[in-house]
Amino acid sequence: MIDITKNIKRVLIVFLIFFIGLISYITYFEIIVGPSIVTNASNKRLWVKRNEVLRGTIYDRNMKALTTSARIDAATQKRQYTNGPLFAHVLGYVDIKYGIAGLEYKYDDQLISSSIQDTFTNYIKSGGKTQEKVGNNLITTLDYNIQKKAYDLLGNNKGAVVVLNPKTGEVLALVSKPSFDPNDLTGTWAGINANKDKPLINRATAGLYPPGSTFKTITAISALENVNGIMDRTFNDAGKLVFNSKESLSNFNGEVLGKLTFKQAYVHSSNVFFGTLGLELGNSKLKETAEKFYFNSNTPSDGITIENSKFPSFSFYEKGNIAQSAIGQSSVLATPMEMALLTATIANGGVMMRPYLVKEVVKSNGEKIKTIEPVSNKQVISANTASIMKDFMRTVVVEGTGGNAALKGIDVSGKTGTADHTDGDNSKPHSWFIGFAPYDNPQVAVAVIVEDGGQGGIAAAKIAAEVMKTALSK
Amino acid sequence: MLRTDRDEKKLMMYTYLLCIVCFLNLAILKQPFDKGALVMALVTCLLIGYSYFVIRKFFSDGDKFIFIFSSILSVIGIVMIYRLNMAASIKQVIWFAVSVTGFILTVVILPDIKRFSKYKYIFLAGTIIFMGMAMVIGTEINGSKNWVLIGGLSLQPSEFGKLFFVAYLATALKDFKNFKELIEPGIVVMVCLGFMVLQKDLGSALIFFGISITMLYIATSKLKYVVTCVGLFAAGAMISYQLFDHVRVRFMIWQNPWPYANNKGYQIVQSLFSVASGGLTGTGLGLGHPEYVPVNTSDFIFAAICEEMGILIGFAIIILYFLLFYRCMRAAFYEEDSFSRLLAVGFSAMIACQVLVIVGGVINMIPLTGITMPLVSYGGSSMLITFLALGIIQKISEEGR
Repeated sequence: MIDITKNIKRVLIVFLIFFIGLISYITYFEIIVGPSIVTNASNKRLWVKRNEVLRGTIYDRNMKALTTSARIDAATQKRQYTNGPLFAHVLGYVDIKYGIAGLEYKYDDQLISSSIQDTFTNYIKSGGKTQEKVGNNLITTLDYNIQKKAYDLLGNNKGAVVVLNPKTGEVLALVSKPSFDPNDLTGTWAGINANKDKPLINRATAGLYPPGSTFKTITAISALENVNGIMDRTFNDAGKLVFNSKESLSNFNGEVLGKLTFKQAYVHSSNVFFGTLGLELGNSKLKETAEKFYFNSNTPSDGITIENSKFPSFSFYEKGNIAQSAIGQSSVLATPMEMALLTATIANGGVMMRPYLVKEVVKSNGEKIKTIEPVSNKQVISANTASIMKDFMRTVVVEGTGGNAALKGIDVSGKTGTADHTDGDNSKPHSWFIGFAPYDNPQVAVAVIVEDGGQGGIAAAKIAAEVMKTALSK
Repeated sequence: MLRTDRDEKKLMMYTYLLCIVCFLNLAILKQPFDKGALVMALVTCLLIGYSYFVIRKFFSDGDKFIFIFSSILSVIGIVMIYRLNMAASIKQVIWFAVSVTGFILTVVILPDIKRFSKYKYIFLAGTIIFMGMAMVIGTEINGSKNWVLIGGLSLQPSEFGKLFFVAYLATALKDFKNFKELIEPGIVVMVCLGFMVLQKDLGSALIFFGISITMLYIATSKLKYVVTCVGLFAAGAMISYQLFDHVRVRFMIWQNPWPYANNKGYQIVQSLFSVASGGLTGTGLGLGHPEYVPVNTSDFIFAAICEEMGILIGFAIIILYFLLFYRCMRAAFYEEDSFSRLLAVGFSAMIACQVLVIVGGVINMIPLTGITMPLVSYGGSSMLITFLALGIIQKISEEGR
């Protein structure tokens, strides 16, 4: 016990280091960790902040109000969606119990920031009354009429419709079915979650489907870019492409298309031709083209979350898979949004515009805060390739598989798809149609998928035609 | 001497000021004006002032800073508890009065501390009884089976066990000569740690370890013993990690609480939100939302304080604790008798470890273990024990001068 004073000093120093460590960690936490966690959805303080301001209104492009908010008491307000399930996926919902989703989530900071401030001068001006703070309003790119039409046309089918303006990237309609009622989440939440059709998923942007023959568009683009003299080639379609004793590839309904040019093969959707073409291109070339269209990566967008579409990697000897992937089967998966963007890019001379949902943010008194201008994501393909593909797609509707999409007085172009899938017991394929109109000056690009809808040239093509007609009728 | 006299008085004035300003703030925030807050302020100030007067008048030799620092911490605690739960804060003031009385009585009544050094086995029995009590007649509160309900009061016997534990170790280690003498206390420490792990009171286990190792080093001045103990503790921790599910869960939540934000990690996640929302200067007393933090008056009071008063006050509290720790260790420094010294060191380490464990836990620096923050947290037994320990140190500081 001789050295006790020295020992006490040492113990003091050790504890001092611990206490300093504590202070340092708190400082680190406050500066580095803190700012990123306060915005976490589990933080109830955000809801207090949200409720201080009466949430802003969301309008469609023609200033039709899609939401209303009413004050209940100081701490609560009621958010109503005027069209119930019609815009449920794209607008999302905001609920203290179930969280916040969709556009409500993406533009939350605007909807809850108010231009009305609690300043002294405001207080005097308003004669001693505190004004109700109202959040900023959003004017979206959505068009009520197109959305309604697409929603009704899908009927009781599961599926999705995406409608874009190819020149600007404006999202005109975004429909996913089955939908849910965002006005009654409390009453329906349990049912929504138990439903095996998963109504909460926004199929238009997060539904991953085999694209089927619509993917031949990407295979064709890849061939145009990588295979010399592809336009002049003729090919004999014998109806079947055999890889080995077990695997082979046939045309739809076992058709034998005979002698075909490249264009004819696309127009009549020859699986044998495109399967062979896929093998010629190889996995890496095809994948490269798909990835130019943002397969396997995030698609830049505004106001929407787009799930990554997937294009697989195969070894050179997996011939069956490579050929299947060239016709949009195997493990190729695409969202309807992805396919709509592909179509829009072709319609817009090879330039993909960034898809966006909000045109303008305005104050509660209507004063403009900001306008969101169209932005180009990139020139994906050359103008020349785009113009060849436009011509191909026009011919599909005129004399190929897409005849059902034809409209009187409007030159529709497109591509059908009939995608085999293994979901569920129903072995009926998904029905796809992607297209744009009018041919000369494209104003609208669509992607339609009807789950288990059968042949693409029928169910999806009819819906696409009607939707385009509505979009162009104004 | 005159110099410290003036400093003490100045510090006392600031303490009163802090108390009055905080309660005034809370009084104004309420509609209508909350007179109760002012009554609380007055009662608290009177209590502190009177106790200070008594200590100064009759025991002018002792270290008065120990009492002043603990008053400041108690005031912060009472204010925060008043803001969170008015009824609890009235109880807390009553407990504060009881504890301060206990503090003074310890100083007045207790005979010379040296004389207690012969009751080794009484202390040992006390330690084992209190540590094991909750195992036999305990009830589980907040996931730890370390509570005992007596009448309407819920008590943590391990809090009282701490006092006996330190006293026992002081008697066992005071005449250290060779390794053999460490075997018996070694076993006692291990048994106590085992009890704590079985009662799911991991925080107390950590504190007991901190106390033992500090006292061991002071008594033996041998670093190799300390290193060995740390090794043994690490091995013990590994074994309990393998054996007990509740230990694994704590560890898992500590590594990444976010996936468990709505179930097992709810407490720590809410605490992190609270601390992060306050920022440097806080949202202002009464203007934040510490009500979202569970058990905000006891275990998580530090988070609530950081949210409303800012991390600057959080730092101030940590520094105050260190100053208190320093003054307590200083008492050991000037003491001649080795038993008293070890006692002072043990009690100081007890308070310091408790602060490190709970503050570290609340900010997820170390795995969270539910223990109270001495003097600040709501809780009668915790406050009484702390003041009794401080009373003994006060007594030792008087003997030392």
